[in-house]
Amino acid sequence: MVALVGNPNTGKSTLFNALTGLRQRVGNYPGVTVARKSGSCDLGNGTKVELVDLPGLYSLAATSPDEQVVTDALSGNISGERQPDAVILVADATNLLRNLFLASQLAELGLPVALVLNQADVAKEQGLRIDTGLLSDRLGGIPVVMASAWKGEGVIDVRRAIALTLERKTFLPRVVWPEKILAALEDITAAILKDTGRKVTSAEAQRLIFDSNSALAERLHWKAELRDPVIRQGRETVRQSGYNPLAAEPLVHYARLRKALEGVVKEGAARASRSAAVDRLLLHRFLGPVLFAGIMLGFFASVFWLAKFPMEWIQSGVDWTKTVVAPPLDAYPMLQSLLADGIIGGVGAFLVFLPQILILFLFIGILEDSGYMARAAFIMDRLFSWCGLNGKSFVPLLSGFACAIPSLLSTRTIEDPKARLATAFVVPFMSCSARFPIYALMCAAFIGPVYGPGWQSVVMVGMHCVGLFFAVPTAFVLTRLVLKVKPQPFVLELPRYQMPKPRDVVWRMWQNAAEFVSKAGTVIFAITIIVWALSYFPRDASVAAHIKAANPTAAEEVVKAKVQAAYVEQSYMGSFGKVVQPVFDPLGFDWKITVGVLASFPAREVIVSTLGVTYSVGEGAKADSQHLRKAMKDAKWSEGPRTGKPIFSLAAVLSLMVFFALCSQCGPTIATLAQETGGWKWAAGSFVYMTALAWIAATAVYQVVIRIS
Amino acid sequence: MTLEAVIVGAIVGVAAGWLARRWLAAARRRKEGGCAGDCACASKIKPKK
Repeated sequence: MVALVGNPNTGKSTLFNALTGLRQRVGNYPGVTVARKSGSCDLGNGTKVELVDLPGLYSLAATSPDEQVVTDALSGNISGERQPDAVILVADATNLLRNLFLASQLAELGLPVALVLNQADVAKEQGLRIDTGLLSDRLGGIPVVMASAWKGEGVIDVRRAIALTLERKTFLPRVVWPEKILAALEDITAAILKDTGRKVTSAEAQRLIFDSNSALAERLHWKAELRDPVIRQGRETVRQSGYNPLAAEPLVHYARLRKALEGVVKEGAARASRSAAVDRLLLHRFLGPVLFAGIMLGFFASVFWLAKFPMEWIQSGVDWTKTVVAPPLDAYPMLQSLLADGIIGGVGAFLVFLPQILILFLFIGILEDSGYMARAAFIMDRLFSWCGLNGKSFVPLLSGFACAIPSLLSTRTIEDPKARLATAFVVPFMSCSARFPIYALMCAAFIGPVYGPGWQSVVMVGMHCVGLFFAVPTAFVLTRLVLKVKPQPFVLELPRYQMPKPRDVVWRMWQNAAEFVSKAGTVIFAITIIVWALSYFPRDASVAAHIKAANPTAAEEVVKAKVQAAYVEQSYMGSFGKVVQPVFDPLGFDWKITVGVLASFPAREVIVSTLGVTYSVGEGAKADSQHLRKAMKDAKWSEGPRTGKPIFSLAAVLSLMVFFALCSQCGPTIATLAQETGGWKWAAGSFVYMTALAWIAATAVYQVVIRIS
Repeated sequence: MTLEAVIVGAIVGVAAGWLARRWLAAARRRKEGGCAGDCACASKIKPKK
């Protein structure tokens, strides 16, 4: 087994994909990989090895959970996993000194090492020439190769280097510490063995002396009263040797590395950096946020504009399917309704949003891979630091706009457990792509046609900001008053701007489209059938007879429509919806929307298919009237003070979108929150808080807008 | 009971059973320390006790 290790955003996952042929998620910002991933790598000499991709880290002084995964993996402390046979250090060829600090620390682990200088193309562009032979000599003869994993260059050399490392067992030279310090390290390992029964290496003992708050002591269950005097004594020994214990490690390692790199890197004529010029504009104190808002506005406007025709094509396909499937089943009304109203109506209403999902991820892919997203983190840092979070919270919050689950996992990059908890708590507020269909449905049906495409985009951006608007004060209260998080400095290494690679962007779109379609064909399909059954049964024949008797002179079509409406109202779903509806009445929801909202608690995208079913049951044979949008536009209150008025008024539409923007309606997110916070307390708190907040905010929106309009 | 009712009942029953089985499997995965999402990635990262 061989492990890929290196600083964040050096291209480890890109190299991993090139070596294994897998499609591990990559991105042009630090912190994309937060867990260990493995694949099989063919070394080209007939042998295969297991290659492990690990999260990025700057030093072995692990403080955040993702960094601990690396140190645990390298020291063989992951349950069921053995220690790697060799380590491939992936370094940024344009920043060797800082990247090799980790290499210098890795030497202490005593594992065979090879060095890959990645992003060789960028180094060349910057006029850097690296003498890999000389560097290899200075680093004890370990294989050193240049590569550009992004372009697929040098991958064969990397395979050879791995084979060579495993064959020759090439090691990095260790730092020679003074005798006194070595003796102190031995004392610490002996004390740990005595107090805990655990055998630790000299490298691990160094962590206890050199790091101000090493997580290792906690992991060893070494009692503070036994531990503190031993570590104090060790640090005193380091001080007596002429070093400050907390600064000794970087001082010694960097001094050695500077010497090793003498004459290795030669600087030639570099091309003028365009990144710096672009950054002056995009990161400008005032212009930066304005440009950011403009980019987002253009982004959502394009999603609507580009998706318009493909959505119409899919809708036509759904309608056509109904006209083919429904008529032959006229003699079997129950089966006809299940297929036409339930399955085709429900799943079709959901599938129509596929083009918008594709375009959404196309833009997200372009923004991420170009390097702009990391700049957005920099722009947002001011807002985050005000509410007690730091810029490191941005990556989880940003990825929350796609899906909350991976973004909850990416909170592992945050060192401070309290800051991590606060970030994880507010991540579900970010407007994930599952909320997109309901926003798109409402905007396309009620905002665009009445107020124009401009307002449609503004409302869309606004809905994506609603979550952030409530997340900021929530984070403020959590970090300042409840958890009392200490302010943390934010250091972000801005990645270079680069042209997004079409293959990666298309792959991301494909993955998300496949997931969307797969969801439509599995979970949505099954839930749609259940919702249909609950909306169809029971069917008491006396209901039809009663309506026919009460309307003797009415046209057949009118009577039929009244019978269908009565059947839906007295169905299980209708009866249940009417019982619960008073709770949602202040939000302007009728019983059908109420049913949709309740059915959406396990997964919020279910709302669209549920509305698709509840608004089409009984309409089976009439394919031309099946458009969910049209059915919703025609829907009117049938009782109470609003009788005859449209159910989907502007107030109700905005209220529904705000409710979905804030409500906690995702079972897997709640479960992941519980897993990442180590219990159900915070997950349950998040569910109750978000749901209550959604109800209050949606009520306020409805009551205010209904009075104004 | 008509054949139509039997077919519809079977479809609804299979859908309900499949959903229940899926949620139970996800719950079991979470209990075993796997991924809490429904992606079945089964990533297990547990430090040695």
